[in-house]
Amino acid sequence: MKTTPIVSVRDLHKTYGKTGEKQYEALKGISFDVNAGEFVGIMGASGSGKTTLLNILATLDQPTSGDVEINQQVLTDLKGNQIADFRAQQVGFIFQDFNLLENLTNFENIALPLSLQNVKGKLIHSKVAQVAQSLNIEAILDKYPTEISGGQKQRVAAARALISHPAILFGDEPTGALDSNSARDLLEMLTTVNQEQQVPVLLVTHDPFSASYCQRILFIKDGQIGQELEKGAQTRQQFYQAILDALGTFD
Amino acid sequence: MLTKLAFTGIKSRLRDYIVLLFGLMMSSGIFYMFESLATNRAFIKANARQITGANFIFLFGAILLTIITLVYVFYANSFLMSMRRHDYGLFMMLGAKQSKIGQLILIETSVIGTIASLIGTFVGWGLTATLAPFLMSRMIGTKLHHFSALYWPAVWITILLYIVLFLIAGAINRLVLTKTPVLKLLKGDSQPNRPRLKPVSQLLQVIIGLGLLAMGYYAMSHIQTFVLSAIPIGLVTIVLGTYLLFNAVFVWLIIIIKRSNWSNRGLRNFTLSQLSFRIRNYTKILSIVSILVALSLGAITVGIGLQRQVTALSTASNAYTMAIKNPSAETLHEINQLKLATQVTYQQKETKQVIYYRANQIKQHPVQFTGFGPLINSTKRNRLAEPKYRPMTRSQLSKHPEKLMVLQPKAPQKTPRLVSDDAFKKIPVKTQRLMLFRVNNLQADKAGLKRVVASLGNPPVTTIPGSYNVFILGTVLFGGLEFMGFFLGIAFLAMLASCLMFKILSGAASDKGRYEMLNKIGARPAALRSSIAREILVLFVLPAIVGVIHVFFGLQMFKVLMLNPYYQIWLPFTIFFVLYMIYYIITVQLYEHIVLPKLKIDQ
Ligand SMILES: Nc1ncnc2c1ncn2[C@@H]1O[C@H](COP(=O)(O)OP(=O)(O)O)[C@@H](O)[C@H]1O
Ligand SMILES: [Mg+2]
Repeated sequence: MKTTPIVSVRDLHKTYGKTGEKQYEALKGISFDVNAGEFVGIMGASGSGKTTLLNILATLDQPTSGDVEINQQVLTDLKGNQIADFRAQQVGFIFQDFNLLENLTNFENIALPLSLQNVKGKLIHSKVAQVAQSLNIEAILDKYPTEISGGQKQRVAAARALISHPAILFGDEPTGALDSNSARDLLEMLTTVNQEQQVPVLLVTHDPFSASYCQRILFIKDGQIGQELEKGAQTRQQFYQAILDALGTFD
Repeated sequence: MLTKLAFTGIKSRLRDYIVLLFGLMMSSGIFYMFESLATNRAFIKANARQITGANFIFLFGAILLTIITLVYVFYANSFLMSMRRHDYGLFMMLGAKQSKIGQLILIETSVIGTIASLIGTFVGWGLTATLAPFLMSRMIGTKLHHFSALYWPAVWITILLYIVLFLIAGAINRLVLTKTPVLKLLKGDSQPNRPRLKPVSQLLQVIIGLGLLAMGYYAMSHIQTFVLSAIPIGLVTIVLGTYLLFNAVFVWLIIIIKRSNWSNRGLRNFTLSQLSFRIRNYTKILSIVSILVALSLGAITVGIGLQRQVTALSTASNAYTMAIKNPSAETLHEINQLKLATQVTYQQKETKQVIYYRANQIKQHPVQFTGFGPLINSTKRNRLAEPKYRPMTRSQLSKHPEKLMVLQPKAPQKTPRLVSDDAFKKIPVKTQRLMLFRVNNLQADKAGLKRVVASLGNPPVTTIPGSYNVFILGTVLFGGLEFMGFFLGIAFLAMLASCLMFKILSGAASDKGRYEMLNKIGARPAALRSSIAREILVLFVLPAIVGVIHVFFGLQMFKVLMLNPYYQIWLPFTIFFVLYMIYYIITVQLYEHIVLPKLKIDQ
């Protein structure tokens, strides 16, 4: 039985630069799906269009042509405030540089998406407590982002992304600024969240180790998807080796 | 290469530079106008009689203006630096030498200062040429002679002052930037200062602050006892008191509001955090601004109030409008055209020491007077509010001969003496006539009175005893005060609002990232805008409220001078707040322009 995908991308194009000026086509017709509960990785060299793709999926940018549907919502149909609300309610986003507001405490950072939807104070407290417990960051809630480590910051960012129970979680090289231990922690945490809460995850990375945590990997090169790799029954170690092999032939 | 890079940096933020230049231009333009009016020798000499009071007023204005210009240049400069920090940090990271960077900063700052002061002086020239003759003639009632809007010494003073200020500012910038670690230049101040409740110290600050304010207000409202020291006492205590209050109450308020449920909705919490993030940075400028608000509002209010009072003041100053000796037929004819309330002619004989009057005549037509003691008295009967003209008894007259003496044109020092008709006849000098009259309304008969003066002959008579003289002097002085109050008030307002604006905009560069993040996690654009509008509103309104309170107390000082300092106070307040709101709106617009992410998708 085939379920409807959570993310469905069809023939996506993105050209930077206005007509008449110097133009650059960053995405040249990309199509793929992410199904419920999946942990999908997108790999590619620097400049291959990964961030461009993710920004379009997260409604931070607009495609030149092509369709994107997330949770049965066609993105191009969204207008004005709907876009912002969609961002707040349907997608969670973890960035490489954390994107935490340093003038708010970690608690306030995590609570922000709920405040934006005018959720009541009591409910906010219980929800933040819940997500903080599952990500093991209860002890640092009253600190400011500048007072905690990079790994902890990324956990706070993840908590903020998950607090409104999004339809999908996006990560744009979330381990990029972390040391290897913190990176492993974060990836394991994402795997747990994905398995326990059934949140689909779309992880963009150029790092094979991070990619080995995914169930399926799409390789993107020069704005196009070149190859796809399934983990299937392999162990993570085996899958890691397979990714390295694939990269060798891919380049 | 580096110079070219620096120039590209300027080009990319041209709009912000234009704002900066425009503010500086207006400031130096206004400064030039004051300077050219206050120091223009030829012009002052030619108009010496009418203008001495006004000249002093302009000089005073120019000094005040210099002080505020200092503050202004400082904030404009910090705005300039906030735009450039990141660029310079980048250059240094790329390996540019510190000395080279220092040189660039100095050049950039002084070029901007020079351009601004040159254009500003030009603008000031235009302002002076168009505005000044009109305003001055309103002030002193006659046309100006030898007035030229271009006065070179004033040009030099203006340009020099601005260039020197900017050189100093550039040197300070250089020092600060080259001493700051590169990383900090690149990242800006991201260290939050966690607002803390320190009940004891804050309570102490509130108490001391209130105590200081009370002292200042007391000194100002009892200016009769403190005399001139009231002003420095008031300034020091009120500045300190305001600062302490802001420091304590502001932090407190934000913490309390943050804890309440109210702050949980939308971006309120973020807005409050933005405010508390800047508290320490802002208490100083907010206290300064509140004092400046008070000064400029006070200047406008007092200026307008005094001018309104000239007629009342002169009417109450003397029972007679004019005292004229031996009026000619022509003069009498002119006087007859006026609407007279009273009129009397005494015979008198004048010797070296004494002026003799006929006692009988004085008895039949007693000399009138308006009473003794100060004109304005807040506790006893206020002579200005209800001038009463009463006849003087003979004993009053002998006790206060000065009431008659002041009515003597040219010879006020001679003692008056009342003698019998016989004795009067025997005095071997010619009989003179002293004509006294009072018009019903000085303002209404202004033109007629001028004709009376003209009929007195050539060369024109300068001082004629009576209330008309006070009226003329008062018009010049208070008209000057009104003009200055108005002009200075608005110049102050323009500069203080620009200071606040630049201070707020200086923080915009580092706020940019925050608003981008909010946009990414799904804050509606309208929510972002309202957060910005609220944050800036608080920063504008707080000092305004405190400033208004200062004005209400400060006006107490003028009870000595004015009938009712609070009379029609809504008028200056309205003018002031309209202008202030315009500044607020401009600041919000500029801030949004810098801070709000420009995403295609949100359009
Ligand atoms: N705003 C932009 N304007 C023009 N070109 C851009 C813009 N953003 C990215 N690009 C170009 O698009 C390509 C893909 O960029 P990006 O999606 O950031 O790659 P990745 O995230 O895979 O490193 C790059 O060549 C980059 O130079
Ligand atoms: Mg990228």
